[in-house]
Amino acid sequence: MMTTGTYSVCLVIALSWNMLFFTTTAFSQEKPPSQAAPGQGLTLVKAVMCEKIENYAPVNPAIVFSTSLEDITCFTLFDPVPEEAVVYHNWYFKDKLSTRIKLSLQPPRWATFSSIHLREADKGPWRVEIVDEKGFIFNVLRFSITD
Amino acid sequence: MSDLLFSPAGIRWQDLLDIALNSYIVFRLYVLFRGTNAFKVLIGIALLWFFQRMAVHVGLIITNWVAQGIIAAAAIIIIIVFRDEIHSVLQAKKLKAVLWGFPHKDTPTPPDIMAESVFELSRSRTGALIVLPGKEDLKDIVQGGIPWHGLLSKEMLLSIFWHDNPVHDGAAIVNGDRIEKVGVILPLSVRKDMPSHQGTRHRAALGLAEKSDAIVIVVSEENGSVHWAQDSRLHIVRRQEELEKRLWDSQGPKAAFNRKKEQEGYRLGIAAVVSVLFVTGVWFSFSRGLESLITLDVPIEYMNRNPSMEILTTSQNTASLHLSGSGALIRSVQPGQVQVRLNLAGTQVGENTLVITPDNISLPPGVHLKKIEQPTVSITLDMPSKKELPVQVRWTGRLPENLVLAEAIVHPAKVQVTGGSRVLDTVSTIYTEPVSLQDIRESGTLTANLVLDPPSLKLAAGSKARVTVAFTVTQRK
Repeated sequence: MMTTGTYSVCLVIALSWNMLFFTTTAFSQEKPPSQAAPGQGLTLVKAVMCEKIENYAPVNPAIVFSTSLEDITCFTLFDPVPEEAVVYHNWYFKDKLSTRIKLSLQPPRWATFSSIHLREADKGPWRVEIVDEKGFIFNVLRFSITD
Repeated sequence: MSDLLFSPAGIRWQDLLDIALNSYIVFRLYVLFRGTNAFKVLIGIALLWFFQRMAVHVGLIITNWVAQGIIAAAAIIIIIVFRDEIHSVLQAKKLKAVLWGFPHKDTPTPPDIMAESVFELSRSRTGALIVLPGKEDLKDIVQGGIPWHGLLSKEMLLSIFWHDNPVHDGAAIVNGDRIEKVGVILPLSVRKDMPSHQGTRHRAALGLAEKSDAIVIVVSEENGSVHWAQDSRLHIVRRQEELEKRLWDSQGPKAAFNRKKEQEGYRLGIAAVVSVLFVTGVWFSFSRGLESLITLDVPIEYMNRNPSMEILTTSQNTASLHLSGSGALIRSVQPGQVQVRLNLAGTQVGENTLVITPDNISLPPGVHLKKIEQPTVSITLDMPSKKELPVQVRWTGRLPENLVLAEAIVHPAKVQVTGGSRVLDTVSTIYTEPVSLQDIRESGTLTANLVLDPPSLKLAAGSKARVTVAFTVTQRK
């Protein structure tokens, strides 16, 4: 399900590949990596806001993005993914749900991301909640859109 | 029931009480101050006020100003000039006498007591000077004296003129059955034909008799003779019965006495009627003049709120009331005199709709409610609650192109806030004040104040209003 806000979602892409070569890096979040949904074994090992994805990896993970960038992306990596599953990237602008993006996950591990196109009116505090179908919050990423 | 309290003419029972109370006050002022100079001046001011109202009515601008000025000045002058008179009326009398007592101005001097006392003084060769005032005021003629206000009795008179009494040399003024003053100095007669055996006491008695209509009784200290001074003449009185007769005659026969009493009754009755008419006239001129309209914004007061709930929002904090009444009353209406009170008993958490009715509005007497501009009030009530919320930095500005703000760790990461439960349900983050990126070039720490939005939120005890932010800056790839 997708909730359309005052802007349009530019790109929603799900990627599937072997993520063994991924390494863990520091990024802004409230919970530490490796968040597992209760009873399912589905575990979030990496979640980061970044400027873009290149070569299947997040580029310039950050907590502040300029509107001069065209897009920003929320990258998430789940490992393991025991069975086909669905997660949501809920984008909030100033505590109000702006858009909700549904993403599918495939076993055994899966990386996926969602992006939004930036506008002048988007300046301010944002957060993205990564949640499963039952509403379990894997992680919350907090960032700001500035000049 | 309330219909019974209104007369067909639209006059309320409060209006009748208003007129009755003020009529009584005016009547009491007459009773207490009549015969005094202050009362005459009060009458003058009342006439001047009437004159000023007439000047307003016919549009005499300058006359109106002048009359107003004189009245304002006179009100101050009367208090200053007649302070002694006002003081003696209000202080010397008991509260009962001020509120409803009638001073018996014409209580007759008891002739038998007076005559017996005078001849007792005569027999003991005790000099005495007793003044019985007539209609004329002696205030400007006599001097000094000590207020006595004692009931007349033989013993009292004998003690006043007893040789060793400090006031025995002066005169005693007897008014009715009261000895008002003692030790009073009388003006001396300058006549040259007075017998040589008559001394200063006789000369003083004659002096007052020449200058006023008062009667003065003199008892000689040398030979005990009793003299009666009246109308510039001095008569010897040889017997007690003769003095008693003279005293009776000076007060008139008993029938005349009763007539005087009746006249007094009529006078008070007329004064009462005039007071009622006067106050009624003033009341009508104020409350039944040309009708004026006014729109007043009055703050709404909320009563009987459940202590566990708090008011979150209201659709309006003031009620716009259209009021009518006479011009004078409407002009004098102060915002504090009009109150709008809404009862919150029975209201629930959430939005409540209340209607302002005339029963919720209290107005000063004589002012009527014409219309309530927006009678419906929406009020949202909430229960106080507490919630732990994450803190997020609100970054502003821009980093140089080659830098990226990679991470920021906020301490404390969460704070506890209190506020209405409905408000807290809509808030999931507490933001800092805007933090500028302008001067950031490398990793470091900073502090930032928290901003509580909406302002009805409060930080719970133990939560600090400032947070520390440790941030990491990396090179852009």
